[in-house]
Amino acid sequence: MKLLTKTSLNFISASVIFFLLGSVAMYFSVRNIIAEDLKSQLLQQQNKFIYNANQNKLTDLTSKLVFIQITDNEIGYSFSDTVLIVNDSYILYRKLQFSYLQDEQYYQVSILQNQSQSDLLIKKIVIMNVGFAMLFFLIMFFVNRQSIKSALSVFYSTIRKLEDFELSKAQNLSLETADVQEIKKLNEVFEKMATQIYNDFEAQKEYTENVSHELQTPLAIISSKADELMQADNLSKEQMEQLALLLETTNRLSKINQALIFLTKIDNRFYTQGSSFSLNDLIKEKLQIFDVAIQEKELKLELDLLDITQVYMNPYLAETLIINLIKNAIIHNTSGGVLCIQLSNNTLSISNNGSPLSFPEKDIFKRFVRSENSKKNLGIGLSIVQRICELYTFNITYTYDCEHQFKIIFKK
Amino acid sequence: MLKKHNILVVEDELELAKSTISSLSENGFSPFHAKDLKSARKLLKQEKFAAVLLDLGLPDGDGISLIKEIKNTKIEIGLIIVSAKDALEKKVQGLELGADDYLTKPFFFSELNARLKSVIRRLNLEDNQQLTINEITLFPEEMRTLIHGKIVELTGKEFGLLLYFFSNPNRVISKTTLGEFMSSSYADYGFTDDVVYTHIKNLKKKITNSGGNDYIKNVYGVGYKFTIA
Repeated sequence: MKLLTKTSLNFISASVIFFLLGSVAMYFSVRNIIAEDLKSQLLQQQNKFIYNANQNKLTDLTSKLVFIQITDNEIGYSFSDTVLIVNDSYILYRKLQFSYLQDEQYYQVSILQNQSQSDLLIKKIVIMNVGFAMLFFLIMFFVNRQSIKSALSVFYSTIRKLEDFELSKAQNLSLETADVQEIKKLNEVFEKMATQIYNDFEAQKEYTENVSHELQTPLAIISSKADELMQADNLSKEQMEQLALLLETTNRLSKINQALIFLTKIDNRFYTQGSSFSLNDLIKEKLQIFDVAIQEKELKLELDLLDITQVYMNPYLAETLIINLIKNAIIHNTSGGVLCIQLSNNTLSISNNGSPLSFPEKDIFKRFVRSENSKKNLGIGLSIVQRICELYTFNITYTYDCEHQFKIIFKK
Repeated sequence: MLKKHNILVVEDELELAKSTISSLSENGFSPFHAKDLKSARKLLKQEKFAAVLLDLGLPDGDGISLIKEIKNTKIEIGLIIVSAKDALEKKVQGLELGADDYLTKPFFFSELNARLKSVIRRLNLEDNQQLTINEITLFPEEMRTLIHGKIVELTGKEFGLLLYFFSNPNRVISKTTLGEFMSSSYADYGFTDDVVYTHIKNLKKKITNSGGNDYIKNVYGVGYKFTIA
């Protein structure tokens, strides 16, 4: 629900409740006031009647609105409502009844006062009040809505700018200046946060670069010395083997280092710039790297690229994704097995006939998890694949049913 | 090689520089060493270089600044960035500024030799664009191979491998190094040994079948050496 709708709804519901309660209260209080007024009028008339009765005969005092009856005993004065039929229409009257003693005879005196006039008055007052109140609420509602809207315009622009915020691009949010204190404060906080995030991002970037540099340089020295030593003429087989192992291990260490830095970079969203390209072409192009490896293992390649699938990704990440998946399917395949690559309906599936996993299925994307007979692998390739999929919210699944199958559903 | 090419090695890690220099001189180059930007600038004024190996993180500044200076001079100098920073943006930036190639540390000397020779070859187009070792002649631009004057059909990878050996004659190249070269640094471990073995087996067969000598020798099963007597 939008903030404006929410405040408007609150306003309306509160207004309706107060309006109803207020109207009822007003109706009763107006009625009360008018009843009091009627009462005092009747009492005044009673005084007048008593004053007149002292000088005149009672019977002379009867009129259209004064009725006198003989009664046996004294009665206290009381107010009540009564209805008279005048010209075939009912008219509501307020009646004051009391007893009057004259010449040792009690008389019951009833003085009537027309009530319908005051009822009409109550109606008019209530209707007028309700009308004014409604008009007032309506005006208030629109004024309120408009003022909230204008006060929040900067807020909405802030939200839009935050939505467009991209780490690798933005240094400054350049939010609009607000005249509302709270929104001003909010913008200040956001700007501060954005700067902080950007600085952290830069620091992280620098850190990974430094780690890379600081580790790679000593490795380069070890590797260069081993390489240099290997060129000596008088080395025994054993010495040569050890040097080759040294070279290989150093290279492996450097590869692990690079892969971990790469993973960190993906996690830190370094590779955000993307472009749109055909996955079909990319797969065909990258398969060429592996043609000899496929030949060597005598794999049967089943390439089934049905639909043209366009993806929007960072080209380097897309390349890494495809290469890692194909490589995985070749390395773990059995000699003479089938390498099946299918692309249809935005879904890429790559499967191979390798032997079953020697570790739980759920660990397949974990770092450094690899099967017993492939200790030479780094065990990072599939982690990288998973991270790339995560970054682009592509759904990747692994299933084993006589063959290992990786399936990626690319978003349209 | 008829004339010795002068190579400037700009590297602040002394041990790495030492090894690089000895490897370069063994390979027929005439290397010079500069430990920072200042001495590199000085040497560039004094000597004529065929190529510069440039480390980026130097004590007195970023090597990137030197790329422009080198490329602004009229003389064609090959420029290879050798950096421990694998950052993609640095690579792109360096190549955009005019660097000819980019090597990430740690690198193999045979790889450096191959890249260096390729860069120098590309810059000296007036030179004879063919490489000959005894009966084998390579035309790198056209990827053509002649043995005893007859064309031998090699696959792209086999040709690349032969060119690599040509750049590193009489040098022991470990299987790891060759694997890295063959897989163009994509496919890390796993099948590289097998792939290297297959390629070399095929290449050897094609050379000997065409009447060439069997130059590629296996060294104790750990590497290969292109032996020229």
